[in-house]
Amino acid sequence: MLRAQVHADLLAFRRAPSALFFTVGLPVIFLVLFEAIFGDQKVPGAGGGEISLSTLQVPGFMVMGVVSASFVSLCITVVNRREAGVFKRVRGTPAPAWVLIAGQVVTTLVIAILMVVTMLLIGRFGYDVQMNTAEIPWLVLSVLVGAIAFACLGMAAAAFVPSLDAAAPTANLIVLPLYFISGVFVPVSELPDWLANIAMYLPIRPFVEMLAYPYNPGTSLPWSSLLVLAAWGIAGLVVAARFFRWTPRHS
Amino acid sequence: MLSPVPPSSAISVSGLVKRYGDRAVVDGLDLEVKTGEVFAFLGRNGAGKTTTIEILEGYRTRDAGEVSVLGVDPAHGDGAWRARIGMVLQQSQPVGTLTVTEILRLYAAYFPRTRPVDDVIALVGLQEKSGERASRLSGGQLRRLDVAVALVGDPELLFLDEPTTGFDPDARRMFWDVISGLRETGTTIFLTTHYMDEAEALADRVGILRDGHIVALGTAPELQAQRGGVEIRFVLPSGVTPADLPNLSGAGTRAGEEMRISTTAPTADLAVLCGWAAGKGIELASLSVQRPSLEDVFLAIAGNDAAVGS
Repeated sequence: MLRAQVHADLLAFRRAPSALFFTVGLPVIFLVLFEAIFGDQKVPGAGGGEISLSTLQVPGFMVMGVVSASFVSLCITVVNRREAGVFKRVRGTPAPAWVLIAGQVVTTLVIAILMVVTMLLIGRFGYDVQMNTAEIPWLVLSVLVGAIAFACLGMAAAAFVPSLDAAAPTANLIVLPLYFISGVFVPVSELPDWLANIAMYLPIRPFVEMLAYPYNPGTSLPWSSLLVLAAWGIAGLVVAARFFRWTPRHS
Repeated sequence: MLSPVPPSSAISVSGLVKRYGDRAVVDGLDLEVKTGEVFAFLGRNGAGKTTTIEILEGYRTRDAGEVSVLGVDPAHGDGAWRARIGMVLQQSQPVGTLTVTEILRLYAAYFPRTRPVDDVIALVGLQEKSGERASRLSGGQLRRLDVAVALVGDPELLFLDEPTTGFDPDARRMFWDVISGLRETGTTIFLTTHYMDEAEALADRVGILRDGHIVALGTAPELQAQRGGVEIRFVLPSGVTPADLPNLSGAGTRAGEEMRISTTAPTADLAVLCGWAAGKGIELASLSVQRPSLEDVFLAIAGNDAAVGS
């Protein structure tokens, strides 16, 4: 049953041109543009000395890819299915609720992993940005924790979006400012301290730290970042479990 | 808590009440639907049709009364119970980017016992659209897909909430054929509709709902008989006024050129009328004897026009 659900959800995702463009295309386009404009700039590296900004932009836009796939895309899909009555219809069949949720989360994970691999390859072969291969287990762990945490947050956000029209603007309004203060669009070293400090406790900056580590290793693994992100994910799960609804708002 | 339901009853409801705030949308509803029966639920907008059907389907809770659907209280219906039921909801769209076959395969995966997807597609007449994405189907085709989705789990009981609203006449006829075919297979069908001709064409029994409870229940002919009498109609010949007509037991009313005699003794009245006309050498154009239509019955009992849309 879960296999059929994931198969159908992936098929539906692949066939929706706007979802495909905004989720997969936009982070790739942003990476290419930012590389062309800022790629040669130098910023302080974690292990002292200077590194090229490319080294941070590749994991930064990797974060954008994962967040697009999990948080933004999931939020829009869930609101869409809810308001169109798809969820309500399925709740009238023997399918248990977890199959629907797991279908969305597994679909999200597949897309997120594809995004990470795409960004990794573009970085490696397009801009000669290399990661410390010893840190691949950490990267895998980070991507899994990040994608699941943002999927939980996406479910939570969907619970508060009243209509399909409001889904994409709401999801983007949440993440776009965070990209600016979390080291995705602008290097953290350019930010005022207070702003950078606030961002440490919001979900995207910790994720950037986690994915940047294999590219720009510091003295120790950013476990604290992983804990902050996991805490956000759990908070999202609790809110989603409390407020999530299967039936359309206007019925 | 529930009294045991005889196996011949697919649906059994007694004293059902549902309130929204102070207003009782369903107010003391009693109903039995037999296994294998096609039952049509009629009522104006706001009479409580959808609220009732959604309580039977397990989507809504109730405030009072006892409900049993296939021997189970829908408030505690589990997956095994839902596996025996098919539903067509009033508003629900499939995922538009999937094809007819893909959608049915997905729904088939939800059910423990299924009908072959191709059979279900043929049953609703969508063979030529099986590879088409749902977003490219017409309204009538989408509704038939909806019915196919409801049938893929091989249900014993099928709920249809206003299944043909917005159909063109051809699509409705096709849809009726599908439902008639299902009745042949012994599926119990509970449908709500706005259309009297639909209820007349499909249903074994009809229940008319008003202000949250059933005000008339029976076969279409029974309801028509309850209204009492029949109407003799004919076009008034030129030069003849209603006063010229012979004495009849029924009261006459004139509607334009047409005379309508409402009577409980149509044989005697027809004999007098025809004898009179034949004696005068008058041909009564468009002479007919009619039962009140189900629509007449509905308009008389379902509430006045002021209640429409309330």
